[in-house]
Amino acid sequence: MNYIQLEKLGEGTYATVYKGRSRTTNEVVALKEIHLDAEEGTPSTAIREISLMKELKHVNIVRLYDVIHTETKLVLIFEYCDRDLKKYMDAHGDRGALDPVTVRSFMYQLLKGTAFCHENRVLHRDLKPQNLLINRKGELKLGDFGLARAFGVPVNTFSNEVVTLWYRAPDVLLGSRTYSTSIDVWSCGCIFAEMISGVPLFRGRDNQDQLLHIMRIIGTPEDRLLRKIATEAAVSFRYMPCMHVVYFVFLYQPSTPEGQQQAANASKQYPRYPKIPFQQVLPKASPQAIDLLERLLQFDPNKRISAAEALNHPYFTSTALPYPVPPPGAMGPPTYNFPHPHAAHHQQITQQQQAQAHAQAQAHAAYMAQQGIPQQPMQQMQPGMYPVQAQQQQQQQQQQQQQARIASSIHAPPPENVHVHSVAW
Amino acid sequence: MSISLYPLASLAQIEQTPSRQDGIPPNLEEDLRAYGCKLIHQAGILLKQCVPLPPLIRFVVYRAMYRKQVAVATAQILFQRFWFVTSMKQFGIGDVGMGALYLASKLEECPIRMRDLINVYDLLLQRAAYTTSPKTLKSIEFKYTPMTYFGSSFYDMKDALVVAEMQILKRLGFHVNVVLPYGTLVNYLRVLGLTSKENVCTRAWGYLNDALQTPVYALYAVPTIVCAAILLATRHLRVPLPSQPPNCWWELFDADWEDVWSVCGYIMRLYRDRDPDEQKRLFTMVSKKGVRKWLEDNGPQLVES
Repeated sequence: MNYIQLEKLGEGTYATVYKGRSRTTNEVVALKEIHLDAEEGTPSTAIREISLMKELKHVNIVRLYDVIHTETKLVLIFEYCDRDLKKYMDAHGDRGALDPVTVRSFMYQLLKGTAFCHENRVLHRDLKPQNLLINRKGELKLGDFGLARAFGVPVNTFSNEVVTLWYRAPDVLLGSRTYSTSIDVWSCGCIFAEMISGVPLFRGRDNQDQLLHIMRIIGTPEDRLLRKIATEAAVSFRYMPCMHVVYFVFLYQPSTPEGQQQAANASKQYPRYPKIPFQQVLPKASPQAIDLLERLLQFDPNKRISAAEALNHPYFTSTALPYPVPPPGAMGPPTYNFPHPHAAHHQQITQQQQAQAHAQAQAHAAYMAQQGIPQQPMQQMQPGMYPVQAQQQQQQQQQQQQQARIASSIHAPPPENVHVHSVAW
Repeated sequence: MSISLYPLASLAQIEQTPSRQDGIPPNLEEDLRAYGCKLIHQAGILLKQCVPLPPLIRFVVYRAMYRKQVAVATAQILFQRFWFVTSMKQFGIGDVGMGALYLASKLEECPIRMRDLINVYDLLLQRAAYTTSPKTLKSIEFKYTPMTYFGSSFYDMKDALVVAEMQILKRLGFHVNVVLPYGTLVNYLRVLGLTSKENVCTRAWGYLNDALQTPVYALYAVPTIVCAAILLATRHLRVPLPSQPPNCWWELFDADWEDVWSVCGYIMRLYRDRDPDEQKRLFTMVSKKGVRKWLEDNGPQLVES
């Protein structure tokens, strides 16, 4: 094999993941070993993962470099990422909660990756913090496409055993099999709230309990909607709303009485919960963050915002920072350009604050640049004025500064000493 | 974008398929492909009957059946693609068909049990063997003898199935995305205002299904194949459509006349009369052993392309 196998990173139900190093390029990679079972041949999760990820090339999606195929096992060679979002939150967050700048950055990248999948007609179907990987540059990448599937025209009758319970959309919980891209959007919303607060938003024990958890916060929807979703779940034969194609309609006669029966049951069972404003649930979130969350976590899948639309939400595009920045000129320029890895420990508090302000401003500039908002090119500037030139290098620099800042604020070891435990698959 | 694309054979692969390189004449390859697809189709029908009938939830049955139909079509397309990268001397059409159907059932999320699939294929092959056996008389009815419980034949077939599935994945480089033509057909029929003519719809649909037995899904884009099916249906039923340049209906769907005509040729060739010996010959060549024996007996037929 062209790769040296290093330590084990994690073990899943059907695969084991090792850290590895390429013999030719010396690049660090993740090796996912799948054992081939004579009882069921190649696992369908592996087939899906390979056939879909092979084509999905995007910064916010874990790259599949290669597949090595032997008699007894299949080894997938992936881009290496240090940790998953769950572990990142545990390590860097304030009791799991991330700071607003990081939340915004990760949320943007998450939606960007999701939008790319949807654009390429791939549903991820299992978005959760454990499947989002974060590398040293602070890049977030979607991983584990074992449950993903390509959707053509139309999407119907998929399995409804998808998505880990806490991130599962209510329409799927109600039995819908005609779901589409909106189920990934729901998961994104749940992850968003979790990054802000540090704890999962809806923590149900089972299908029914999960629905109740959702309703207790976003309110019980009106009967009409519940009935509609339940009927669709029963009929399970629909066209995708966005594609104007009729398909196989005559093959199946919807059994309406059954559907209605089920719908009647569906609406009877649920207590009428009022909606709780998200501001109350997530006091830390800014009004714009609340507004975006509101649009992501719509009970009705048809009303849920698309990932691509969400990227244009004012939460990302507006110039207002998630939290206030000192006015220009209030502070002198930072004493260094590039943070010394150990600097965080030695800097005096005032200097740390300066660095923080600088990092914030730079992070903001990077967003502005990502959004394509024109800015004057300047190399070194006063921290109060938004720094510019969102070039790769500077972004990295900013990310490292951010990391240094986070590390120092919670007295964690500096980033390069952080031991990488595992990558969750 | 990339994901929704489906791979087509390259010019070099079409000019000289691996089987032809091994000396299998084009006609024979075509017949073997068609026969392999027929087996997949028949297996699909038999497996559909295996769906238990839950008395209360009727739709579950419909759903399972529908997905299986999709899986059968997908399997046939994968099967056709496979022979552009592999020779029939290396793998038998029976095993590969079985592997393709098993793989397609995973892709379409309607898993088939390996045991069911193997039993069904065993039945189909026994029936084929019965038809070819010299002592066959109309008076002796075909009787299926199930595989012995402790015999090795089941395990041999199981191994062959797993290997075939793996080989399909490997040789197709995991390009297992398949786009089926039926949605496109309904769309085109609507655009052409033909939906009210039920016989046209059914017939075009039938041609699309039959086309699964030819390599066209590995050779041409879906719109071209759909146009060919509509062309055949409307010509046979004498339904006039604008066909004089510059007003040709197929141009509406970006199809090329040459290509459409060629697809029609592939489909119509399926219906040609074949002499019984030619037919029987196929039954003996379901396995690679049969193909190898034929090559030994007849010598490689080197065809200059």
